[in-house]
Amino acid sequence: MAQLFRPGANSIAVVVIVAIFAIPTGAVALTYFIWHSPYATDQYITRAQPVPFSHAHHVGDLGLDCRMCHTGVEKAAFAGLPSTHICMTCHSQIWTNAQMLAPVRRSYATGKPLHWQRVNRLPDYVFFDHSIHVAKGIGCAVCHGPVQRMALMRQEQPLTMGWCLSCHRHPERHIRPKDEVFNMYWTQPADHAEQSRKLIAQYLIETSHLTDCSTCHR
Amino acid sequence: MREKEGDARWIGEGITSLEDINARIMAAIFAPAHTWRWWVALAFSGSLTLLMIVTVTWLFAHGIGIFGNNTTIVWGFPIANYVWWLGIGHAGTLISALLLLTRQKWRGSLNRFAETMTLFAASMAGLFPIFHLGRPYYLYWIVPYPNVQDVWPQWRSALVWDFWAVGTYITFSALFWYAGLIPDLAMLRERANSRFVRRLYGAFALGWRGSARHWQVHDRLYRYMAALAVPLVVSVHSIVSLDFAASLEPGWSDTIYPPYFVVGALYSGFAMVVVLAAALRWGCSFQPFITVRHFEVIARVLLTASIIMGVSYASEWFWGWYGGERSERHLVIFLFAGPYAPLYYCQLLFNVVVPQALWFTRVRRSIAAVVVISIIINIGMWLERILIVWATLSHDYLPSSWRIFLPTFWDWALLFGSLGAFMFLFLLFVRILPALPAHELRKLWIEENSA
Amino acid sequence: MPSLSTRANLDRRIALKMLAASVAATMARCSRPDEEIIPYTNMPEGLVAGEPIRFATSLTLSGFARGVLAISVDGRPIKIEGNPRHPFSLGATDVFSEAEVLSLYDRDRSTAIYRNETVTTLADFMAAWRDASQSSSGGGMALVTGRVVSPTTLARIDALKRRFPDLRWYRYEPVNDDVSRSGSRLAFGRVVTSLQRWADADAILCLDADPLGPGPDQLRIARAYSSRRGGNKRQCIHVAEPVWTLTGASADFRLAAVPGEIREIARQIANDLGADLGEPRLSEPVRAFAQRASIQLRANRGRALVFTGEGQDAGMQALCHWINERLSAPIDYLSSPDAVENGHAEELSAFANDLHARRIHTLIVADANPVYDAPDALGVADGIANVSFTAHIGLHRDETSVCCKWHLPLSHALESWGDARAVDGTASLVQPLIRGLYETRTRDEYLALLAAEEIVNAYALTRATWQMPDNGWRKMLSDGVIANTAAKPMALSVARIPDFPYAKTNGLSLQLSPDPSLWDGRLANNAWLQECAKPFTRQVWGNAVQISPNDAAHLGLADQDTVTIAASGETFTAPMIVMPGQADGVIATNWGQGRLRAGRIGTSVGARVSGLGPHPFMRLLSGVTMSKSDKTVTFRSLQAHTKLAGRSEDLFQIATLTELAHIPKQQTLPSLLKAPPRGEYAWAMVIDTDACIGCNACVVACQAENNVPVVGPEEVSQGRDMHWLRVDSYLRPHNKTLRRGFEPVPCMHCELAPCEPVCPVEASVHDHDGLNVQVYNRCIGTRFCEANCPYKVRRFNWFDYSGDQAYADEGPALKAQHNPDVSARGRGVMEKCNYCLQRISRARKTAEKENREVSEGEIVTACQAACPTKAIHFGNLNDGKAKVSRLKQAPHHYILLAELNTRPRTTYLKRVYNSDDGE
Repeated sequence: MAQLFRPGANSIAVVVIVAIFAIPTGAVALTYFIWHSPYATDQYITRAQPVPFSHAHHVGDLGLDCRMCHTGVEKAAFAGLPSTHICMTCHSQIWTNAQMLAPVRRSYATGKPLHWQRVNRLPDYVFFDHSIHVAKGIGCAVCHGPVQRMALMRQEQPLTMGWCLSCHRHPERHIRPKDEVFNMYWTQPADHAEQSRKLIAQYLIETSHLTDCSTCHR
Repeated sequence: MREKEGDARWIGEGITSLEDINARIMAAIFAPAHTWRWWVALAFSGSLTLLMIVTVTWLFAHGIGIFGNNTTIVWGFPIANYVWWLGIGHAGTLISALLLLTRQKWRGSLNRFAETMTLFAASMAGLFPIFHLGRPYYLYWIVPYPNVQDVWPQWRSALVWDFWAVGTYITFSALFWYAGLIPDLAMLRERANSRFVRRLYGAFALGWRGSARHWQVHDRLYRYMAALAVPLVVSVHSIVSLDFAASLEPGWSDTIYPPYFVVGALYSGFAMVVVLAAALRWGCSFQPFITVRHFEVIARVLLTASIIMGVSYASEWFWGWYGGERSERHLVIFLFAGPYAPLYYCQLLFNVVVPQALWFTRVRRSIAAVVVISIIINIGMWLERILIVWATLSHDYLPSSWRIFLPTFWDWALLFGSLGAFMFLFLLFVRILPALPAHELRKLWIEENSA
Repeated sequence: MPSLSTRANLDRRIALKMLAASVAATMARCSRPDEEIIPYTNMPEGLVAGEPIRFATSLTLSGFARGVLAISVDGRPIKIEGNPRHPFSLGATDVFSEAEVLSLYDRDRSTAIYRNETVTTLADFMAAWRDASQSSSGGGMALVTGRVVSPTTLARIDALKRRFPDLRWYRYEPVNDDVSRSGSRLAFGRVVTSLQRWADADAILCLDADPLGPGPDQLRIARAYSSRRGGNKRQCIHVAEPVWTLTGASADFRLAAVPGEIREIARQIANDLGADLGEPRLSEPVRAFAQRASIQLRANRGRALVFTGEGQDAGMQALCHWINERLSAPIDYLSSPDAVENGHAEELSAFANDLHARRIHTLIVADANPVYDAPDALGVADGIANVSFTAHIGLHRDETSVCCKWHLPLSHALESWGDARAVDGTASLVQPLIRGLYETRTRDEYLALLAAEEIVNAYALTRATWQMPDNGWRKMLSDGVIANTAAKPMALSVARIPDFPYAKTNGLSLQLSPDPSLWDGRLANNAWLQECAKPFTRQVWGNAVQISPNDAAHLGLADQDTVTIAASGETFTAPMIVMPGQADGVIATNWGQGRLRAGRIGTSVGARVSGLGPHPFMRLLSGVTMSKSDKTVTFRSLQAHTKLAGRSEDLFQIATLTELAHIPKQQTLPSLLKAPPRGEYAWAMVIDTDACIGCNACVVACQAENNVPVVGPEEVSQGRDMHWLRVDSYLRPHNKTLRRGFEPVPCMHCELAPCEPVCPVEASVHDHDGLNVQVYNRCIGTRFCEANCPYKVRRFNWFDYSGDQAYADEGPALKAQHNPDVSARGRGVMEKCNYCLQRISRARKTAEKENREVSEGEIVTACQAACPTKAIHFGNLNDGKAKVSRLKQAPHHYILLAELNTRPRTTYLKRVYNSDDGE
């Protein structure tokens, strides 16, 4: 009777058996990797905006305060984007007929608002509140990165739940004095460890509650 | 005298040589008799399978609102079907493993298709918890895997234990089944006529040559697996029972549940084995291998199980009364006097009363009778499952939320659809793999004829 | 605030964009669509994007105002709350005002001017109107409205009359006070509004009256009622009534009697007070009741009150006035703000006659629906068909609208400028929270147009009524009440005892009353109200005929049979429900159902009974017959069992004052489970079933606050509903009497919550404040939690109720109302009460920003805010001084299903009665 299999069959069999275990494990690992990668988290993407607004210029060069435009940041969950009027408080004086500001002027004239592309996005079931973070000494830079160096705005951090938790579990790693919150150039002092412990006590931060689901989801 | 001798044999007349055994078993695959029966059955079960596919598509498109569940009775058919199917999925591996360890000769005629039944039934069972989920596409959240949310399953939940229990059970049963299959695959490899088919069987036979060493290793492996299988089987339905027992609902939070569920599982499982055995015997002319005696012994098992079930029911009533908890008592009354009472009486009749007929030898020795009783038992066991779900949820602590369950068309469609799918798979199995373990039967024949 | 309208406009655009984005986002998260942020071009000062703002305004019921604070986010009104400054709200709301915010977004609202079936312009209409009205002095010109007490509207009508001197104005209100008006005329020779000072009474007798029941005066009386619960100086309330009412359920002594017998009770009491009205014809139980009541009343002269209702006749009303005078009862008599002399029924009949006599050739129906309201006997529809020029002003293209040639779309109250008066004449402003969603106008604007006034803008018209400097105006707007506008009490005396003939009772009589959820039917297209269970039958989506067990047995009818009722030549078919504790010989049902053209929600739900009777608005039809129908109408209810299978004593707990004295202190049972961690707060709720009157305001408030969807009639008959808070209605024999009570059941927030260990994915978890929270976005829908919840308070989204599969395709409309602070739950997700987590977290963050702790009363849950009797208390158990902490020590405090030792944070106070034998 003719040979049914060539000798190679044995090695194939071994490979198959190994694969049965290797492939699923590999698949999980790969998924996990991709999930974490900027590809999945939309990090470092600059989106086309109606006006090529440069934080590098306004914050870095001119040193404008965040609150000048993001008026809601201390009061509300939503930091807010500047109304056309706020843009025009300056740009009715300077760069009055710069080409790139045409959309702003149009909006001002027609009363039709500008349509900005959202850069930092959270799911709807996450109720993030800017005001409380600012009030408890979490600097803008912690999440938004060095905006003073960003010509066009991009998402700096992964904004995954795991990332949120990393801070909610250890707020001491990121907390800073309230008056440094809007300081883009603040760096942690040498004795940050005990400073932060003091601040947490001083700002009455109840760390246990920070990791409750109800803190962000409802 | 001669009759008694005949009785001593587990392989009936008509087998004169080892080759007969192989030939008959191979025939079912390569040269089947009355194929039209098979085609008719396939067409019938196929259409039911189609119904199941339609139902599931509709389910995923519209949401589980299509079932009869309501605010109070949040669990319905899917959970009952799940428990029922898993119960059926029990007998196979247990028969096979237990009888192997206890060196029961009659095992050989049953274990292969019983194990196959286990595989298919368990797979059916495995589907229902997915179908019943509100968001089935997030099923994988029950699995512990590294994720960007830094969250894990909730280990205290019986549903998580369930997932592991059933998963392990199905995997193990598959391996056990495959291990037993290897020598027969080799035989198929030799006998298939097209080269492609031979290569196919050959690939799965893993180069089995039937050398003494092969047989020795295989035998040892098989026994070790059997030893592992028995506790596993027992654990599975015990854990399933915790879905109910680990709650505080009246009629559910009950220490008797694990044993009660395991026995119930065996009960329905054996009943299903009887039905399939009869079908095979008739469809593949396996009369010499599946004899009246086989039915008789199973009948004895069924009889025993029915009595245990009866006792379990009685104990539920007793503890309901003796425990004195008001809701428990009301629940028992509700079962006997509530809107589900007719179903409950059927359950008692089918699971406890009817099987008592098996006390009589004449009944046990009539295949027809045993088959009918087995079918009745399976219906009774399904009723038990659905009533466990319905009764407690319909009638728990706050009368203000008492409601009644009204099944919809889709509830029934999914139940019968799954039956069809099970049958469909089984029909395919008998035409692709040997429904009886040729090598074990050969061994048995030799033992029986060496004397 | 002129900037308002432009703001509203911009916000709506933002709102809709945000919605679009959010919808996309809440659905599958796998692919993330680009989101846009659209800031204002000019940010109005005082507004912070995404933060709620409260505006004081007024909503009317049958023309009378209840002050409210409407909450608006980004210019979208999303919730109604009571206005503490307003005497007829006192910070509370009723189901009707709570639901108005949904009516605003009603997709069936009429959006355009119609000429017959074709959309047209205002210009066309005005042209046609000029042709019709030019050179007319108003002869044959008719204006039909509901009750009008708004000064601005009255001014418009005057203007119209000046323009057309012979114009005839018919005003009628389906749910009206005709009987008490004529009663007071009989007693005092003039129409007066009597305002009972409930809180000042120690003994109260209600003769076929329901002061605690729904109505424009409910909130005021309910608050007074609750102010006298608890404590030892409690009121003694006697109620004699044919059918269960909210007042009857709260009574110490309740007697089920037919109206005729109740009349005799009044006779008995009058005689005891020195009248000579002949021997009262009292059967034994009634006599005993009458005597006890009489003794009580006379023992409390000056602090005794007698009520009677619209179900009785003018004579009875007058007699009760006389009795109250003898008892010098705490009642203020005011001149009625409703200036029209004639009765409502009278006016409607007159209108019908004039129609048939062809005395009307030009007809304006302003925000009224006579075709539905009037008995078929009056043939209003045919009458209107004969009129040459007909115009209808209304929110919907309703029954009347389709009979009229012209239809003019009306603005919703939340889109309108205007004013209104409360029952006692207190005036308050109506201000818009959003610019009209459609091209609509207010009633005042239309009337001004018709009268060709020079000012035709509602804002200007309203300001014209209230001439004052801006700051005064601003104060009025922010207060929501206009100071000292209430009518002054008058000194009146009853001229003489009215003659009081014996009433003759013949056969079965049918009692009609306004629907506790739909009122007179104008709210029939409001899904929240349709799905708001009626207090006693717990029925939704329809009306049923209630009958006493004896009558049912006598007629050979079973519970939930479908029956046909014949009354005064008309018939209707409805399911029948057997109601223990109802008087034999009286069957009852509600107005407001069976609308023919209400909209997607309300059309042809239930049976229309306003068509019955020779005269309009009859409350009692005698000589009705009742038989089993061959049709079947399903009875849909949210609670199948109101009689408790022998469990009442621990489920709905009752105590009498004497029992209260010696109740053993209950201690917590030991448990093997480890208690959840205690954070800096421990939120808890105590619900006082003694104060609860079962008005359902909390249920609708919860629905509005938490984006709770409706499921629709089909789903309800499947046994499904979504209410996070349900009001269980209990009927329980206690000592010698049949007690009826209500038990609001939200999530219990068990400390040892059975739902938590069973969830495989940790979607049901405890937080450090002791809340048992449900993480919707983590839920995979195993429903084990609800299966294991002994209180069955969890609700499952069997379909995408708040999205694509919303009932009557209301999805988008509802989204506009959705509270942005609360996630909209998708299909296959479990949800439940979370103590208004969004409010807790808001208050908590405010406090934390100010580096302080949340103080008592800072967090008010939606149900608590709505409750007119302050029956719901919420607070922090860690604060020993908090109200909840104290109440949990009270002797009549109890835990629902305490034996399960789930340690609920939501607990109850027992219903307390004065005396042991309740008759």
